[in-house]
Amino acid sequence: MKKFKYVFLSLVFISLSAIAQDQKQPERKQGHTNQNKFKQLYDEFATPNMFRTGSGAPGPGYYQQQADYKMDIVLDDVSIKLYGYETITYTNNSPDELKYLWLQLDQNVRAKDSKSPLIKVELKAQRLSSFTRAYLKDKFDGGFNIQKVTDAKGKPLPYMINRTMMRIELPTPMHTGDKFTFSIKWWYNINDHVDGRGRSGYEYFPEDDNRNYVIAQFYPRMAVYNDVEGWQNSQFWGRDEFALPFGNFEVNITVPADHILDGTGRLMNRKEMFSKEMMKRYAKAKKSYNEPVLIVTQAESEAAIKIKSDKTKTWKLYAENVRDFGFATSRRYIWDMMAVKIGNKDVMAVSLYAKEGNPLWEDWSTKAVASTLKSYSRMTFDYPYHKAISEHAKEQGMEYPMICWNYGRPDAQGNYSDRTKFGMMSVIIHEVGHNFFPMIVNSDERQWTWMDEGLNTFLQYVAEQDFGKWYPDALSVGQDAYPSRRGPAAKIVPYMGGDQDYISPIMTKGLNVHQFGNNAYGKPATALNILRETIMGRELFDYAFREYTHRWMFKHPTPEDFFRTMEDASAMDLDWFWRGWFYTTDYVDIGIKEVKKMYLTSTPTEEGIRISRRYRMDPNTLIYFVLEDSDEFNEGMRNGTPTENVSTLKEYLMDNFSEAERKNIKSPKYFYYVTFEKPGGLVMPIIVAYTYADGTSEKVTYPAQIWRLNDNEVSKAIASDKEIVSIKVDPDLETADIDTSNNSWPKEVEKSVFEEFKKKIKD
Amino acid sequence: MKTIKLLIIIAILPLLAFTTAHKYYLSVTNIEYVSEKQSVQIISRIFIDDFEALIRQRYDEDITLDASKEETQIDFYIEKYLKEKIKIKINDSIKTLVFIGKEYEDDILYCYLEIENVTAIKSFKITNQILFDLFDEQQNIVKLKINSKNKSFVLIQENDKAMLKFN
Repeated sequence: MKKFKYVFLSLVFISLSAIAQDQKQPERKQGHTNQNKFKQLYDEFATPNMFRTGSGAPGPGYYQQQADYKMDIVLDDVSIKLYGYETITYTNNSPDELKYLWLQLDQNVRAKDSKSPLIKVELKAQRLSSFTRAYLKDKFDGGFNIQKVTDAKGKPLPYMINRTMMRIELPTPMHTGDKFTFSIKWWYNINDHVDGRGRSGYEYFPEDDNRNYVIAQFYPRMAVYNDVEGWQNSQFWGRDEFALPFGNFEVNITVPADHILDGTGRLMNRKEMFSKEMMKRYAKAKKSYNEPVLIVTQAESEAAIKIKSDKTKTWKLYAENVRDFGFATSRRYIWDMMAVKIGNKDVMAVSLYAKEGNPLWEDWSTKAVASTLKSYSRMTFDYPYHKAISEHAKEQGMEYPMICWNYGRPDAQGNYSDRTKFGMMSVIIHEVGHNFFPMIVNSDERQWTWMDEGLNTFLQYVAEQDFGKWYPDALSVGQDAYPSRRGPAAKIVPYMGGDQDYISPIMTKGLNVHQFGNNAYGKPATALNILRETIMGRELFDYAFREYTHRWMFKHPTPEDFFRTMEDASAMDLDWFWRGWFYTTDYVDIGIKEVKKMYLTSTPTEEGIRISRRYRMDPNTLIYFVLEDSDEFNEGMRNGTPTENVSTLKEYLMDNFSEAERKNIKSPKYFYYVTFEKPGGLVMPIIVAYTYADGTSEKVTYPAQIWRLNDNEVSKAIASDKEIVSIKVDPDLETADIDTSNNSWPKEVEKSVFEEFKKKIKD
Repeated sequence: MKTIKLLIIIAILPLLAFTTAHKYYLSVTNIEYVSEKQSVQIISRIFIDDFEALIRQRYDEDITLDASKEETQIDFYIEKYLKEKIKIKINDSIKTLVFIGKEYEDDILYCYLEIENVTAIKSFKITNQILFDLFDEQQNIVKLKINSKNKSFVLIQENDKAMLKFN
């Protein structure tokens, strides 16, 4: 009975209160999980373990596999084929038992039965060129021909090829510490890299019937086996690059006798390969720190083009602790070198280019290489290899340990525009920079393109700015800094403010992202630059970034290892930054919602009473803010100082401060209540410039954590001796705010780009 | 339209396999109708090296697009070419484009064109064949902002027209 009465009563109350509130009682919201933008990334990050610790460093159980190669390579310049016989010694350092090994057959992406063309989506109308290539022309067969796979005694090993991956059966399982040696004999048809847009191949010069070869991913390469992926045997579709273990390479390459060749590793038979004159020049280059010395001149290269040798020569290269091997060879090459001091040792900066690259390449390539090594070594670790080569190839930009190929070609008369010049310098800086990421800080490119491209593009920006400072002659008339394409926050705005249907989070496998360049290069590079310049400051950022590179040089880091180290070494909780910038496609848009003058009173205001109840404070002991346009405002409030108007404040000061102390109490004349809004999903610091009536201004940064309890709008009460005449959010465009029309108070009329240009033309 | 746009984007992705070079052939043209000025304002963004290749092949081998180079001749070619390749019909009548000028930023050429004295737009039709004569793979994105309506189109050789109607 009692229960019934209670239910009845509560029904009455409910209906009464419903009537009382004019039936506007808001519906009770459902509960929710923690959706806070500052929530730690426990769900996204892998749990730390003995291999990888919560600090972001390698753990006590960290291991990595080793693959050592001995290869004999023959390049046949007549049939345009590459032949190889390689012996791999694989060391199992993992705690796991391995029954089979996986190798990568990257050239199979060009095999006749490659599936890469099959995942291209077809439209109902097609371009004639692609139609012809797909349906009318015979397909180029550029896949590997595996002739035999044998163990150390020459006994055939069973193997299975699944497209770009090959599984070799081990006669007996490999245990921890075991080594296994086996050999593969193979050949393939070398592709024209200009026609088919390959990373590797040849460029043909019909005027003298010669080829420049840039050769890479040319041999069956060991896949990575690690604690994160097991075997990284995700297929090579053509875009996501490579995951490779470290090892030592002993490579003998046989090419036409009149070719000039350079590649990964030390040249072991230099005296055999170099003429006496070349040796003399080489000795000079090793002592030349400011200007490159030609080892092969343009005149010598042009003479070599005229006669083709039918003999061959074998160049012997040896490299320690590299993850890959590449080489470039041609009789058309000019070759120059210069020394650069890195730490306490000399590194050789080297360029290989045909006459088509001049005059640009003889002027700038080797200097760009040297400059890059200095900049990157300052930001990471001293470059550990003995040389870095920049080779000139048409439309290329591709990196391998110690060697990379780069575009940037003047026209036939030797003229070049600023675009060609800075394009060439930028690509050299970028590709030489790849020696650090991923050649040494060896991230998994197949999975995470941004881990090498993003970090590298970030340092490319730093290195480009250095280059402009160190070589002002490289700049053009009217420039006072290197014109970098990527890095500054404002440059990423068109991408981040663009159509969300074509944007992917950075934390997406490279193959599956929209707008590859912006996604994997531009945005992470900009994010790191913003972190360095605006969020952390250079001192904290540079220390933590360097710590990451030291922890993971010659190892295999994951994204978490990077994110965690940056926090571990800086005492900055950056989970909100990684979450927003790397795991979502949110953008920055922060603005000023309203600015109100306000006055102070001891008379409780309506909102003030609500606040006093919520926080259980005595309403008689509070000071209340009254906004200029509110009902509680009266004109009398404009007169007098806060202490005069607020009786409680006056008493408080009398009770708590001596007369002498009270003399030093500040008495600000102006109070403002400023409300910031955040239409964008990303949380970021609010950077505000307050400009006063006397023309001075002041910049204040409210840390991103100001958004922790309200993701939409936050307010600040500002006290000032001087009247504020204008307020601007992100005045220096350092946050990549995609819409600046709400950044100013009073509102500035957005200038139309079109009208501005029209005005400029008229003037 | 959405799916087609998506398909086109997917189709051009495999061509972007490289490091820093732009390996795809694309232009973006923003068109905005500013009614209070009775003006249709057009900004076309085109990769400089593509456009330079075009001018060399079509008009003059010796031209280099560079801020420091002789401007008048370059402007002459740009204006001539754009007026031939961009055709706009408003309310079913062909409109004359006024070439305002061009500027360079990084590797992009910005071209400014205007249609004057447009009092109202009931229908808008554009043909954009920029660089179709040079590259089979050229795609021209057209972004319209007319009467507070935003719409994007991807134009290719086989489908080089876009149209918007207002009631």
